[in-house]
Amino acid sequence: MADPTPVEHGYSCQEVVELASEYLEGAMTTEQMTRFELHLNLCDGCFSFVEQVRATVAMAHVLPEEEISPAVKSKLLAAFKDWTRE
Amino acid sequence: MIGPASEVGVHDDDTLVARLRDGDDLAFDEAVTTMYPAMFAVARGYVRTRSVAEEVVQEAWLGVLKGLDGFEGRSTLRTWVLQIVANITRKRAAGEARSLPFSSLELERDEPAVEPERFRGPNEAFPGGWRSFPTNWQTQPESQLLGRETLELVARAINELPMAQRTVITLRDVTGCGAAEVSEAMGISEGNQRVLLHRARARVRARLERHFDG
Repeated sequence: MADPTPVEHGYSCQEVVELASEYLEGAMTTEQMTRFELHLNLCDGCFSFVEQVRATVAMAHVLPEEEISPAVKSKLLAAFKDWTRE
Repeated sequence: MIGPASEVGVHDDDTLVARLRDGDDLAFDEAVTTMYPAMFAVARGYVRTRSVAEEVVQEAWLGVLKGLDGFEGRSTLRTWVLQIVANITRKRAAGEARSLPFSSLELERDEPAVEPERFRGPNEAFPGGWRSFPTNWQTQPESQLLGRETLELVARAINELPMAQRTVITLRDVTGCGAAEVSEAMGISEGNQRVLLHRARARVRARLERHFDG
């Protein structure tokens, strides 16, 4: 059982999880950010949650990306050469 | 912005456009290669199969070549290219049920990032507070966090997302496109783009949480 989370710091934990991307995207006003960070400083649960979202982004970022097939690429290069000649 | 995609910045854009107009094969090869992941992700947001998405990317490049001389640089080259991809896919999908603006359907529903049961109710002490805290993943060994099994799970979770969420998280977090670029290419507001991104990340996070915490 976790420690009770104080709500008098502005946002409740339930609100914090909904605002996590606005925070990470830098889309908050200064006032919102101050309230958000105050909550994070006092709440281990929400701190972990935001770190988990960050970790999720980092994992997505190391996934292999789609690659163009050599066949498609050579078709496109041929089209480019035609276009250049026009 | 993070990632390889940001290397194609606005500054390099003028040079790249000039090289393409000059018929520079190497520049074209580079553009085709580096823009492929983002172009494919946009196409995949509207069409049913990978092979159709691949066709759309090819068609889009032909459109890019046709329009390149008239490109005025009001957006970045990649944003413009992604918009061409989106236009082609929308036309192609027009006969299918997917012709509906896909993101608006997903945005109509409410979707909490974390199940409401995880929080204390309005009549309990500390309403809206966690019943039990999420765990600290930083205590997981890095080999586990970025191990093959975990990454495969992330890839699967992304693949199973609703279409608009999958498109946004792929463009933003996998490919490294910027928020403005993605919202312009998809024809949605930055706010809606962020809602879709948040929901997508929340779903993938929840999958990882079940994986780590059992």
